[in-house]
Amino acid sequence: MANVRDSDTSLWLHNKLGVSNDSWTGGSICSQLNGEVLRNIKDCFPDLQTQVKLKLLLSFFHIPRRNVEEWCVELEEILEVAQVDSEQWVSMLAEIMKTFPSTGSLNTEIGSIDENRRIFSDLVNDLRKLVKKQNDLGMLPLECHYLNKSALVSVVGQQPAPTKHFTLKRKPKSAALRAELLQKSADAQNNLKKS
Amino acid sequence: IKLISDAGYQGEITSISTAAQQIEVFSRVLKTSISGFLQNTEDWQGTVEECSKMVCHGQHTYVYSQVLLQVLSQEARGGFNMKRLSQEITRCAQQNHHDVTPITMALNGAAGYPQACQALTSMLSRNALNPADITVLFRNYSAADPPPIDLIRTPQFLELLVDSLFKPGVKLNPEHKPKYIYLLAYAASVCETAARKGQTRKTVNKEELKPTIQAIEKVHDICNINKGSTELIAELSILYQCIRFPVVSVGVIRWVESTVTEPSYFKLCTEQTPIHLALLDEVVTCHLLLHSKVLQLLIQLFESKQDELEILVQLEMKKMLLDRMVNILSRGCVVPVVKYIKQCWQQGDTDISLIRYFVTEVLEAIAPPYTPEFVNLFLPLVENEEITGTMRGDGENDPVSEFIVHCKAHFAAL
Repeated sequence: MANVRDSDTSLWLHNKLGVSNDSWTGGSICSQLNGEVLRNIKDCFPDLQTQVKLKLLLSFFHIPRRNVEEWCVELEEILEVAQVDSEQWVSMLAEIMKTFPSTGSLNTEIGSIDENRRIFSDLVNDLRKLVKKQNDLGMLPLECHYLNKSALVSVVGQQPAPTKHFTLKRKPKSAALRAELLQKSADAQNNLKKS
Repeated sequence: IKLISDAGYQGEITSISTAAQQIEVFSRVLKTSISGFLQNTEDWQGTVEECSKMVCHGQHTYVYSQVLLQVLSQEARGGFNMKRLSQEITRCAQQNHHDVTPITMALNGAAGYPQACQALTSMLSRNALNPADITVLFRNYSAADPPPIDLIRTPQFLELLVDSLFKPGVKLNPEHKPKYIYLLAYAASVCETAARKGQTRKTVNKEELKPTIQAIEKVHDICNINKGSTELIAELSILYQCIRFPVVSVGVIRWVESTVTEPSYFKLCTEQTPIHLALLDEVVTCHLLLHSKVLQLLIQLFESKQDELEILVQLEMKKMLLDRMVNILSRGCVVPVVKYIKQCWQQGDTDISLIRYFVTEVLEAIAPPYTPEFVNLFLPLVENEEITGTMRGDGENDPVSEFIVHCKAHFAAL
């Protein structure tokens, strides 16, 4: 792949990434990437199909970390070209991913491209109001099931008690069962000690 | 499509692939869907499913939406609802066999901790733990300046740890086992307070780490050996004590689930209430947050085919399961339980004597004041002639009549 011309690179990418409409991508092209190929990709990037552009950027997630560090400059250059792409999805994805080669994290402060900033901040601002308003929804993060009381409070604060739908006038049968089982347990332990 | 969307008719755009073509249209449809999740408490599973489908349409829509949810989950008020939505969507993507681990790790701040990040990524991508990566994490989290606790609080990782420690038949290398236990206990018990202004280091409070480790160890030892109920009964007080730790309870649920869903479990069981299910009562009593997990398991058992049991024995088993459901109900998980029983009745595939049994048990346990929501759900069951006809006396002194009279007097509108 090292000495191919632009047209070959774009044909290769098209064959690899452009055939299905599904934008979920594995890392199938990653093993064939290197600095040279990435520079070629940067040059032919603007002329690729939207689908191919998106899948190419998304395949960066599958490049082993040490390679990402090695090709950081090349990857960032592609992302720079992609950020000013006329297709808004490509531009947005590139802005989200622009910090990925150097830090390994995604950029959540969308704002360097005007159109991206407008779309993203409109969405965030509208939803933020709703999120604040519906804060008692009670949908706790899944890890909360595991947390000791104090750890839980440190994560989500004190939770409201559940609605009291009735008064309990009699203990459920399971309370009697519990007492009975504990008695049996004590007997069993005594028997074990004796034997 | 953009014009339909511009005119505000997001609901009309039903095809996700059409909506996903333009980011602006997708953003609006996504907004409608997330708003739906935030406002619909009735059927949150339904709204989560719908939202996940849209987000997982493509990998680019997934990345975009998860960045959005990450930003929203930072909100001090209500942000954790968004974190949950994000987790549910992640889970859905994984069920569809998409490897989203690198995206998750690029959003949770793991990148600043390369060793921990790499170890976690390798295990989460394969959805399996291994001693080498666990050892790396153990070293990191027992060091003086450990990585942020959020990394190991990834739900998938916690599930894997619980599976390997509590699922019957899993054998861990004894040399590495303490590391698994340490990491699970660490995630469950350590409190991390973010660094205040002027301070560079976060504070890490490990006060409860040791007792949590001990509790996991004890119960792991009990669950790991396939004990008969006579041997188990001797361990009961230890189990009851340790169940107070939520993380142990999650493990006990996992263990009980695997044990009682064995095809021959109920056939071989001699007690009226098997000890495994009695343990679930204790979990329910101690932990509000685990109610829905336990209820899910009880429902699964209630609906399971037990063809090898005689009809009468099957009915007795179901009554025993209803006793467990009445217990959850009495501990505060009211609406989901009554809704489920009501659904059983409406579908007509549950023996009516079982519905009657449930109604009787509930009526004997409860007293006013009732909430309108509860009355709305429960009254139709109580009023139904087929269910309660034989339970009513001549006057108004039986529980059925008393409940109906009370509701009519206090909830005129119903």
